[in-house]
Amino acid sequence: MIRLENLTVRFGGLLALDAVSVEFTAPVSGIIGPNGAGKTTTMNVLSGFLDSKGGRVDVEGTDLLSLSAHARTRWGLRRSFQREQIAEDLSVRDNILAMTDHSRASRADKRADLERAIEFAGISDILAKPGAGLNTYERRLTDLARCVVGQPRLIMLDEPAGGLTRDEAAHLGDLILGINDLTSAKVLVIDHDVDLIERICTETLVLDFGKRIDFGPTRSILDNPAVRAAYLGFETGAAADA
Amino acid sequence: MPTLPLRSWQVGFFLAALLFLLLPVVLGGQWMRIFTSTACFTLAAAGAGFIYARLGMVSLTQVGLMGLGGWITLRLNHSTALPFEANLAIAAIGTAVLGMALALPALRMRGLYLALVTLMVAGGLEILFTAYQFPNGGAGFWGVGTSFAAEMRRPALAKTDAAYLRYCILLVVIGFVLIEWHLRAKPGRAWALIRRSEAAALASGVNVTLYKTWAFGLSGLLAGLGGGLLAGSLGLLDASTFRASESVLLFALVIVGGARSWLGIVLAAVLFRVAPGLLNNWGVDADLALVFFGAALLHAVITAPEGIAGQIIGLLSRLRRRNRGQA
Ligand SMILES: Nc1ncnc2c1ncn2[C@@H]1O[C@H](COP(=O)(O)OP(=O)(O)OP(=O)(O)O)[C@@H](O)[C@H]1O
Ligand SMILES: [Mg+2]
Repeated sequence: MIRLENLTVRFGGLLALDAVSVEFTAPVSGIIGPNGAGKTTTMNVLSGFLDSKGGRVDVEGTDLLSLSAHARTRWGLRRSFQREQIAEDLSVRDNILAMTDHSRASRADKRADLERAIEFAGISDILAKPGAGLNTYERRLTDLARCVVGQPRLIMLDEPAGGLTRDEAAHLGDLILGINDLTSAKVLVIDHDVDLIERICTETLVLDFGKRIDFGPTRSILDNPAVRAAYLGFETGAAADA
Repeated sequence: MPTLPLRSWQVGFFLAALLFLLLPVVLGGQWMRIFTSTACFTLAAAGAGFIYARLGMVSLTQVGLMGLGGWITLRLNHSTALPFEANLAIAAIGTAVLGMALALPALRMRGLYLALVTLMVAGGLEILFTAYQFPNGGAGFWGVGTSFAAEMRRPALAKTDAAYLRYCILLVVIGFVLIEWHLRAKPGRAWALIRRSEAAALASGVNVTLYKTWAFGLSGLLAGLGGGLLAGSLGLLDASTFRASESVLLFALVIVGGARSWLGIVLAAVLFRVAPGLLNNWGVDADLALVFFGAALLHAVITAPEGIAGQIIGLLSRLRRRNRGQA
């Protein structure tokens, strides 16, 4: 259970998040909304990169906002970035290894963990490649491998399918669904690809201008006219034409 | 994390062994001193180089920190009976601590602002050194007396100039190994993430404060070591050696040489110390070196981001590939 209560973030005159409250219970949940809706901002609050003015975040009984940013990672928070952040100087293997560096697990456990993640993401043939030489798909897969090592409890993926072809995005979707077999972590996914969200997310939160528009089973929120107006405006237009 | 394609550490050890055996034999008086001081500046350059190449941060205090290391070494030499090695170790640790204090602004600043803060510290050290000079065996805390020249002890293993040069080369090798060892382990991975972005580092569980402080401490340690060794070589130090402008010049030459590899660092120190000496020998004004360095810096910034070392390595690997193609 991931409970956000009253998250509020202001950038100067802009209210990026306006008292957003929601409780995710599904293994994989989604956050959608138009550009600038506050999706990434929500993840940045959970990560500790931004402070919420008031508000609380409770993940399986842990008060997340009371931990420092790096301590949240050690606690089990994982995330990928909209603009991926693979270290250019490190090989794929070292990029993943860096994630296990700060856990207290034994060396053998870390190695087994690493191997499992590599197999899961299917990247055993690019392990020695330097980060600087990876294409978008390889970066997204490496990111995913980084997210599943070190006993994660909450994994947040910010547009994991950004820049991928349809087939690549579909494969990534399968992998995200497979996270629950590999770890006990809850997964939160942001994406503009509504097909992907519909396929992998049981519940979805819709944001617009920093406000919660709707939340519930993905199928039903996608049928909500308010959501369609805010986010899928072009489809209502198309429906009117028909 | 391989630094260079050419099994660079093997080449490095080979070259160091060669210099270790040959340099002290072939060099005469003045040049022996110049190469010893080149070794000392190599240590400081190595610190500036790895902070720049691996963390993406600019430190313009390295030569000033060398001065601090030299000051502590001289002070301890003249006021205690401790052996040289102990004084050197204390100086290196003391400088590392100041280096860590320098990391405090680095925690909040990046890029130009950080560079300016480190430059201000270098300026502050320059003022202190000029006002109080370096201990020469005089009385009081500052230890400066007029026309004093108390004896400077040297390491038990390296009493002669030739042996002392070898001693310095050995410490340079140890310095490089120390950096490389960091780069291949947990700190190196944390630094690479910090270089990518602070968000990337935090999202990987890196304690950014700790690892930045650590990097500046290591860099300060190397500078302090270099300064202490320089004090041991010359016996006396002069404030003009440690001006802030020297720190800037050394940093610029690290860019020219190539901050990412040990070869580039060595080239930087050679340009810094040996080039002016050569020009002097040829009867050319040594200040002309600055003009040459300026042109080289432009060249590096515009066309050779990996520095001279990068170009040499690129050339060598092309040759190797061609040879392999013919075989
Ligand atoms: N650091 C910042 N400083 C100022 N404004 C910001 C900052 N970060 C985000 N914003 C603004 O806050 C609003 C919400 O941004 P956010 O990145 O959360 O949007 P998003 O929903 O992730 O959109 P996208 O789909 O384009 O990624 C935007 O108007 C954005 O311009
Ligand atoms: Mg976003």
